Amino acid sequence: MNGAPSGRSRVLYHMARADFLERVRRYSFLVTLGMTMYLGYLAATGKIVLQVGDMRGIYNSAWIGTLMSLVVTTFLSLAGFYVVKNTIERDRETRVGQILASTPISKFLYVIGKCVSNFAVLAAMVTVLAVAGIAMQLVQREDAHVQIGKLLAPFVLLALPAMAVVAAIAVLFETIPLLRGGFGNVAYFFVWIMGLAAPAGSGAEGRTSIFDWPGLNLVWHSMKALAPTQSNNFSFSITAGLGSAASSSFLWTGIDWTPALVLTRLAWFGVALAIACLASLFFDRFNPASLRRVRGSALAGADGDTLANSAEVATFRPGAALPRWTAAPVRFRFGAMLGAELRLMLKGQRWWWYAGVVLNLGLSLGLPSAESRGIALCVAWIWPILLWSTMGVRERRDGTSQLLFSSPHPLARQLPAVWVAGFTVALLTGGGFGLRLLLTGEIRGLFAWFVGAAFIPTLALSLGVWSGTGKPFEILYTLLWYVGPLHQIVQLDFMGSSPMTAATRVPVFYLAAAGVFGALAVAGRRRQLQS
Amino acid sequence: MNLSIESVSKKYARSQWGLRNLQLELRPGVLGLLGPNGAGKSTLMRILATVTRATEGRVLWNEIDIAKSPDPLRSVLGYLPQDFGVYPHLTAVEFLEYLAAAKGLDARTARQRIDDLLDVVNLAEARNRPLGRFSGGMKQRVGIAQALLNDPELLIVDEPTAGLDPEERVRFRNLLSELSGERIVILSTHIVSDIEAVATDIAVLNSGLLLAHAAPEEMLRTVEGKVWDLLVASGDLPSLRRRFQISSSVRRSDGVQIRVVSAEKPADAAVPAAPSLEDAYLHCISLHRGSVAA
Repeated sequence: MNGAPSGRSRVLYHMARADFLERVRRYSFLVTLGMTMYLGYLAATGKIVLQVGDMRGIYNSAWIGTLMSLVVTTFLSLAGFYVVKNTIERDRETRVGQILASTPISKFLYVIGKCVSNFAVLAAMVTVLAVAGIAMQLVQREDAHVQIGKLLAPFVLLALPAMAVVAAIAVLFETIPLLRGGFGNVAYFFVWIMGLAAPAGSGAEGRTSIFDWPGLNLVWHSMKALAPTQSNNFSFSITAGLGSAASSSFLWTGIDWTPALVLTRLAWFGVALAIACLASLFFDRFNPASLRRVRGSALAGADGDTLANSAEVATFRPGAALPRWTAAPVRFRFGAMLGAELRLMLKGQRWWWYAGVVLNLGLSLGLPSAESRGIALCVAWIWPILLWSTMGVRERRDGTSQLLFSSPHPLARQLPAVWVAGFTVALLTGGGFGLRLLLTGEIRGLFAWFVGAAFIPTLALSLGVWSGTGKPFEILYTLLWYVGPLHQIVQLDFMGSSPMTAATRVPVFYLAAAGVFGALAVAGRRRQLQS
Repeated sequence: MNLSIESVSKKYARSQWGLRNLQLELRPGVLGLLGPNGAGKSTLMRILATVTRATEGRVLWNEIDIAKSPDPLRSVLGYLPQDFGVYPHLTAVEFLEYLAAAKGLDARTARQRIDDLLDVVNLAEARNRPLGRFSGGMKQRVGIAQALLNDPELLIVDEPTAGLDPEERVRFRNLLSELSGERIVILSTHIVSDIEAVATDIAVLNSGLLLAHAAPEEMLRTVEGKVWDLLVASGDLPSLRRRFQISSSVRRSDGVQIRVVSAEKPADAAVPAAPSLEDAYLHCISLHRGSVAA
């Protein structure tokens, strides 16, 4: 009776429920909730600041509810995506997907179930922040009168629609083969950056823009109308206590939720549904053939299936004898291990990847100004991100850990070989910049560049060993790369892309950080070996 | 060459024991490790392969504690885990070269050995194809090849015939027979016929406990005079199942031919039968379950 509406609702309910329960019973969910609570704490203690000009609103229910909701629509829309973008992958890895694929459940219903489950997880985080909002108002006591409607309205009308969109985008990314893995993780970061930038300046006063999915414009116009300031500067940021404090406060009674505004916000649920529909078109229903096509033509047979046991490889060769050794010729050579690790890291890269490296090397050597060469280095060291993100991860991901960890000296031999392979990739891809510094005799700059080449694979290896997945490195590294080197923020310029960095002690700091991450990687692998 | 397992226990979370106080002394030959699913076979294999550590007790390889000093054993170890993966983009040769490097084989030796092994497991024709395109049986044979890369003195194979078709299973058993001799082979399976063909010793595990450790002949003696063939009507089968350990049943036109393992004669029409290792194994397991239930 699957086709009946009630039957479909039941299937949808159980799809979403099972997935939700599987997630919330994992340790990682508790960590996620803990981090969400920390965001709430930052907002409550004034580390996350919402200002119009140099003024902030009195901490009443409307202001606090909106502040917390903007925490959701900005920060949680990034972190939450990475938290929930694994629901279909889990079904694939656990092979539950194969079972589901053999049931009458439709692709659309499956995808919607996954969207609902994603949304439920994100909504749980929103709930945590809503509770934190109430606590914040009671603690701040600027206006101790809690107005539940004013406090919760932004959560319901700003935060939840945005989370529905994020939930659906996460599923869409999982269904599009190109976006399923590390590339999708990196790509979403830029989607998110553009998504937050899009509403700025768009939309007339008192109305919401069609791009304003986080509701930033809506909040800005509403606050500006009541703030006794001429400033058009609207800021929402994490200050870590370093930013300028608001000089005065004003009373803001909240957004006037007219039916039109409410409908505009609820329309984002419709957008989420449309994204889910699109995702269901891409969803391959766990067809292994399509997965192989994605992984590269090298793995795909004519029909995308595995090799048949053709006659010549059908079984063990009858009567074949294996010669015994007269002496055990076991003599470890680091070069052989390194070569094998490098081959493993680079295997499967397409011609255009190497073409990109060569082009960048040329640019790094040929560009006239130091600034433009710095940009070229940034590009050079984001290019291999998906190679580095496999470091320390492959053994668990591909199920070879038992084979490797039972070989002699896995800690002293294999782990250093993995690191040197990553370091070699950094030296080669960023080699143009380094060579130019060497030729011009900029020794301090060369040192900063060299530290960068060591820091990146060390960070990747450490995060990979401890997390067992490339995702943390892909997210953290992209964030660090974007905020630091690309924007020439010297304190975060771990690769020495800015000429100013070399003159500071920043490279020494990152060298020390590399040492710490290296020690963590060794400790993590030792822990795996002794488990 | 000897492997001593001394009072080894492995505890998982919440007082769940994977192994309890296991005591075994192994010398060259093939030890068949038998037991139902969840008996602790894979746990023991992983401890012996230095992939995990015992909670209590110790394992000595040539008098060296493998928990304190695992590398002397790892240098001469070949291990085929029950569940293992491969790197899908590497070819069979590249994958074996990678693991040969990890095991410390020099390049020339590795190349020769890989050629020999691919010949034995009959994957020479597929040597340059990506592993991602291999069938389950072919991957399993790559796993067997990697376990033999360093001509191991201790070969541990956990459910090696899983994924192999009947013909492949027979060929693998023959290979294992050829390999035994001056090495210790530990073969874990719940398929008794695999063990029957090659094992020089048998250990039976259940619920983390070692129930028996004996030569196959000794195991067979434990059910001497306790195995019966009996033809019964289909309708009588359920009640007989409740009363006796039935090791096999074959449907015939005039009823069901069953094989009963029992100290007492199950029916007047029952005739004594020659015991098999499967009968001995089932008897051993049912005795243990009976003692636990009592």
